Amino acid sequence: MKIPLQLKVNGELRQVLVQPYYSLLDALRDELLLTGTKKGCDEGDCGACTVIMDGRAVTSCLILAHSAKGAEITTIEGVADLAESEPGELHPVQQAFVDYGGLQCGFCTPGLIMSAVAFLQRNPNPDAGEVKFAIGGNLCRCTGYSKVVEAILAASETLRG
Amino acid sequence: MVDFKTLGQSLPRVDATQKVTGKAVYAADVYLPEMLMCKLLISPVSHARIVKLDTSKALKLPGVRAIVTGNNFPDVFFGSGALRDRRIMARDKVFYVGDPVAAVAADDEVTAQEALDLIEVEYEGLERVVHPLEAIEEGAPNVHDDVESFDGYGFAMGGNNCTLLDSDRGDVDQAFRDADHVFEDSYRSQAINQGFLEPMACVANLEPNGRLTVWASTQGPFQVRQQLASVLDMPLSRIKVVAMELGGGFGAKLRLAFEAFPALLSMKTGKPVKLVNTREEAFTINGPRLETNIHLKTGVMSDGTIVARESHSVFDVGAYLGAGPNSGVAHALGPYNIPNIRLRSYGVYTNKIYVGSYRASGVADMTFAVESHMDSIAHRLGIDPIEFRLRNALSEGDATAGGARVPKNGLRETVEAVKERMGLPKKLGENRGVGVAMGEWRSGSGPSTASISVNEDGTVSLLTGSVDISGSDTSLAQIAAESLGIELDQVIVSKRDTDMTPFTGPSGGSRIVYSQGKAVQQAAEDTRQKLFDLAAQRLGVQPSALVCSEGRVYVQDNPSQAMSLAQLARASLTSQQGPIIGLASLSSMPYAPVFNTQAAEVLVDTETGQVKVTRFVQAQDVGVAINPMAVVGQLEGGAVQGIGRALSEEMQIDPDTGRVMNPSLATYLMPLAVDMPEIETILVSVPSEDGPFGARAVAEPPGFGPPAAIANAIYDAVGVRINELPFSAERVLAALQGKETENRTVDVDSLKRREGM
Repeated sequence: MKIPLQLKVNGELRQVLVQPYYSLLDALRDELLLTGTKKGCDEGDCGACTVIMDGRAVTSCLILAHSAKGAEITTIEGVADLAESEPGELHPVQQAFVDYGGLQCGFCTPGLIMSAVAFLQRNPNPDAGEVKFAIGGNLCRCTGYSKVVEAILAASETLRG
Repeated sequence: MVDFKTLGQSLPRVDATQKVTGKAVYAADVYLPEMLMCKLLISPVSHARIVKLDTSKALKLPGVRAIVTGNNFPDVFFGSGALRDRRIMARDKVFYVGDPVAAVAADDEVTAQEALDLIEVEYEGLERVVHPLEAIEEGAPNVHDDVESFDGYGFAMGGNNCTLLDSDRGDVDQAFRDADHVFEDSYRSQAINQGFLEPMACVANLEPNGRLTVWASTQGPFQVRQQLASVLDMPLSRIKVVAMELGGGFGAKLRLAFEAFPALLSMKTGKPVKLVNTREEAFTINGPRLETNIHLKTGVMSDGTIVARESHSVFDVGAYLGAGPNSGVAHALGPYNIPNIRLRSYGVYTNKIYVGSYRASGVADMTFAVESHMDSIAHRLGIDPIEFRLRNALSEGDATAGGARVPKNGLRETVEAVKERMGLPKKLGENRGVGVAMGEWRSGSGPSTASISVNEDGTVSLLTGSVDISGSDTSLAQIAAESLGIELDQVIVSKRDTDMTPFTGPSGGSRIVYSQGKAVQQAAEDTRQKLFDLAAQRLGVQPSALVCSEGRVYVQDNPSQAMSLAQLARASLTSQQGPIIGLASLSSMPYAPVFNTQAAEVLVDTETGQVKVTRFVQAQDVGVAINPMAVVGQLEGGAVQGIGRALSEEMQIDPDTGRVMNPSLATYLMPLAVDMPEIETILVSVPSEDGPFGARAVAEPPGFGPPAAIANAIYDAVGVRINELPFSAERVLAALQGKETENRTVDVDSLKRREGM
C-alpha cells in the first residue's frame, strides 16, 4: 500500500505517495520525475544516485524514502541554487566539469557533482589526494578520473573566490 | 600547416550543459502514461531441456498484464556475430545460467518480480562444458548439437568450434628451422565486463498505427532495428529506434540486447513497456568478454630479426557467437613486420554467458600476449626490449597480416615520445620496475552519411545517424564548423532516430570521427559549394572567387562584397535551387592504422603481492586531434580501463556451472580515483591520408597496452613473469614464491593434427 509522504526537495515541499519499501532514489525518479539522479546499481556501489541530504552526500538508493522525511534534500536539478547562482547559471562545480572535460557519457556525472559539492562545503581548499578520496564512492568508467579531479580542484578555487 | 579556427580547439562538449544539469535523457528516464514494467526470468541451470513451462499462476497475480515465453516469438534464429545460432528467448533448451526464459509485463516492477516466482519451469539437465580448452577437444559434450546447420557456418572443426579464422604467409616451418632461436609461450586473459555505468534499458510502444517505437540505450540503432525486425518477423519499416543518450557502452551496446522483450509485450498489451536491467543482470545475461587462451611461437635470428610467427588463440564465446575471434588473426603479429606466419583463431562454445564486444574485442587479449612475448624474447636474447621492438616494427610500405599496405604513420614517434618522457632505458630501485607495450588498431570503417541544412538565421543543422559516444557529436560539429567557417555554437547537432536519419554504421570500433567525420566534412563541402553557387549568382562573380569564413561568404579579393549565411539561407528559400542542404554518403574508408606506445612504472609489495602502478605514460598517433581535450580524455579513460583489466578486474566464473559468481560492482573491482596514477598522455600527429583533416581513430588503442606494460614492469621489478591476467595480489605472491600454476594451455599439436598437419 502506498503511503503519503512529504519530502523537501530542492527547497520545495513535495507530496508523494510511495510504498514503504521505496528508496529515496525511486521516490525521486519514479514519483517526482527528477531523473537527473541515476540508478547505476541500486546497491550503494556506484555512486550515480548521490544526492545531498542535510549537507551530506548520500547514495539515495540506500535510503528509504520514508526515512528522508523532514530532511533537506538537494538533487542535481537543484544544485545550482546552492551556490546562489543566477537563474540559468550553473553551480561552479557544474561549470568546471563543462570547462575541464570532466564528463563523457554523463551517467555518473550528476552523482560525482553532488559528491564534489558536499565535499567542497566541508573542505573548501583540498589537494588532489583529498579530492580522489572524496569521490572514492563514485565510479566513472569513461574518464579515468584525471579530468574529474582537475575540474573539482578548479571549482574549489572559484568557490573560494 | 593550415590555420584552423574551430578545429584543434579544446572546446567544451556540445552536450555538456545537458549532462551536468541532469537533463540529458537516457532510456531509463523515459516515462510514458500507462507504462508497464518488464522483468525477465532467466535460466538457473547451465544446459538443460525445458520440459515444463507454465505461466498460468503468474498471470493470475493482480497487476500482471502479459507474459511471453520463447514460444510466443516467431521461430527465428538470428546472430550477433557471423552465425545465426540463437533464438531471442529459449524455446526448448537453455544454454547458460542467465539464458532468458520468460518476460513479464506488470503495473510495476515489484509485481513483475513477484510474478517471476510464480512461473513454473522444469528442466531436464544436459551434459555441460564450461572450460573452453575442454570444449574444443574432440568428444567434448556439445553446447549446440547442430552447429554445422547454422546459417553462416563456414570453415571450422565442428563440435563446439563455431568459427575458425586463419592467415598464412611464407614458409613458416622452414623459417623455424632456419631461425637461430625459437621461443614459445602461452597466455591466458580473463573474463571481463565492460562496466558501463548505465545498465541497459529500453522502452517499447506499439503505436495505434501499427508501428513500434523503441527508445533504446544503444550504440547501433540501425543494427537494433534490423535484428528486432528479424526476431519479431516484422517489416523493418514498422520499427523506429530512438537512440537515447548513451551512458557508456564500450561495445556492449552495439547490437540487439533486450529490446525484443518489451516490444513483444507492448504488442500484446497495447501499452508502453519498459525494461531496465539491474546491475546483477548487467553482469549475468549478455555480452561481456570471456577468457582467451593464446599460444605464440616465434622464430628469431641472433641479431633480433623476427622471421616467423605461429599463433593459436582460443576465444571462449560462451553459449552464442556474440562477437567473433577476428583479432586472433588480425592482431597476432602486433605492429611488427614478420615475413612467415601461420595464424589460427578459434571461437569455441561453452555453457556460459555469451560474449559481446568490448573496446576492440580480443585485441587487448592478443596485445597482452604479443607484447609480453616480445619483452620476454628480448630479455632471453639480451637485447633492450624497446630496441628489439623497433628492429621489427612495421614501416611505411610493409604488409599487415591482412595484406594491407602500411601507410605513413607515427609508430616510431610514439616510441620516441614515451622513451624521452620516461627517460628509458633506466633501472629503478628495489621492487620497482618499468615496462613498455606497443599497440595497433585500424581506424574503424563502415557506411556513413550526413546532411547539413542552413537555417534562416545562419546556423546549420547537422544530422547524422551515429550515436554520440565519447564526445563524437562535438567533434563532428567542429568538423562542420571548420568547413563552413562558423562558430561551434552555430552548429545544431540533431538527435537521431532511424526514421529521421539515413543508415549509418554503429558507433563502435573508433569509427565515428574517422568515417562519420569524413561524411560530415564532405556534407559541409557540399553545403559550402551550394552557398557559393547561390552567392555567385547574387554577387555576380564566379563561385571560385568566393570564400566562406566568420559566418559570411565573400569575394576573396574584395571582402566587403559579401553575404551572410543568414542572408543566403533566406535567399535560398525563393531561389531556383531551393533551400540549401549538403549531403554526403560513403561506404568504406581506406585502412588507416593507429599506433600507440604505453609504459608503466610499478611498485611490487613482495610481502603481499600487491602491485601499484606509480606512473603511466602513453603516446598515440592521433593524426590530427579535432578536440584535444576530448582526445586526451578518451586516452586517459582507455588507459585506466586497461589498468583495471591488468590488476583487479575479473568476472569469476564457476568452473562447474559457468555461473558468474561476482555480479556486482562491490565484487567486480573497477578502478577508483584513489587507485589511479596520473596518466601522462602525449599526442603524436602524423596526419592520415584520408581521415577528416587528417584525423585518425582514437578510442580503442589506449586499453590495449596496460596489461603487457604492467606484466613487463613486474618482471623488471621482481624478475617473475606472469602470463595470466589479472595480476591480483594472490597471483603475484604465488609467482614470487615460485609456485607453478596448474593451468591448461592450448594443445597446439592436437589442433594441428585436426587440421591435417
